[in-house]
Amino acid sequence: MLTILLILFSINTYSQCVSNQSFTMIPAGPYQPGDVVTVNYTLGNFNGIFINWIHAFEINLCPAWINLTPITAPLNPAGSAGSWVWDIQHTFVGGLNFGPGWRFDNTGNVDWGTASTGPFTMSFTVEVGPTCTSDNLCVSVLVIDDCTTGGWTGGGGACCVDPAYNIYNGVVQIPPIITSNINHY
Amino acid sequence: MKKLLTVLLVCFGLATYGQTTINPDTVCVNATGEQYFVTNTPTSTYNWTVTGGGGTLQTGQGTDLITVDWGGVSGLYLNAIGVVESNAAGCPGLPVLLDIFVLDLSSNVIGPFCPGDPSATLVGNPAGGVWAGTGVTGNNFDPSTAGVGNYVLTYSMAGCNTTINVIVNNGPVTGPIQHF
Repeated sequence: MLTILLILFSINTYSQCVSNQSFTMIPAGPYQPGDVVTVNYTLGNFNGIFINWIHAFEINLCPAWINLTPITAPLNPAGSAGSWVWDIQHTFVGGLNFGPGWRFDNTGNVDWGTASTGPFTMSFTVEVGPTCTSDNLCVSVLVIDDCTTGGWTGGGGACCVDPAYNIYNGVVQIPPIITSNINHY
Repeated sequence: MKKLLTVLLVCFGLATYGQTTINPDTVCVNATGEQYFVTNTPTSTYNWTVTGGGGTLQTGQGTDLITVDWGGVSGLYLNAIGVVESNAAGCPGLPVLLDIFVLDLSSNVIGPFCPGDPSATLVGNPAGGVWAGTGVTGNNFDPSTAGVGNYVLTYSMAGCNTTINVIVNNGPVTGPIQHF
């Protein structure tokens, strides 16, 4: 009985509003300095609690990555009026510091997200920066609802608490430098 | 034709990349323009150091090939040449080192001689080198074989040379015994 309760609690905690997330990375890792990787990410469904709407996709990168570039923004199937915009940094009305990533700019109800439940597919490229050490190359995507951003307060403060979706956790591959012996003409 | 091409390519490859220097490397005292190199990676840079042996790096810092002038004090100098390769990202590799033995040859002085004098022993220092010149057989100089004249004898080892001058003079010419 306790086990069942724990499992239910776990599901409720870690898959609260988002489901069916997937990704591809082209090319596949591991990666060396200078490699440019295209990341495609899809969120299959978003079903908010207390009418929370999806508001943003934040891309979290370890510092070893550089040159994050958006390629394809999410669509907004059956969603609210507005569009997804790319932000390097944005401070939401509730004070949440966001970025980089895509944020829904609701043109009907400013500060709300979109009523769309997905699917949402987006892509971006990112490059492995110059380094001499095996730095972490983490990539994750955090889905943020408009309760968390402070745009929607009608739910009584019950916001989605989905963890960031982990896409990659490798480290930079440093090619060995092999110097020949010194020779004398 | 295909076999000939293969042979040519192998020979070219050996001539270009096949050289291997034994550690320690031997150079002559006061040698100039000695060239040292590593196999080149085009995107890499090379930081060389020359320490000991009176060596000074003359050209090529940053590249895969340098020239060095050596000093006048013989001896073994450990890690006298070093190089650290850095790749295009500026990441350094491990240092590669080479010991240097600065070789100073010397020899004994012999002569002058007269025709018919016995052979003289040639002594080179350090031992183990090779003598060459007129009248030389092994480590001996034979004035009779050489004959009258001035000769330059060479003592060689590991690409270094030293020379000595040897003179074989005319003997006195004595006339016939006369009876007053």
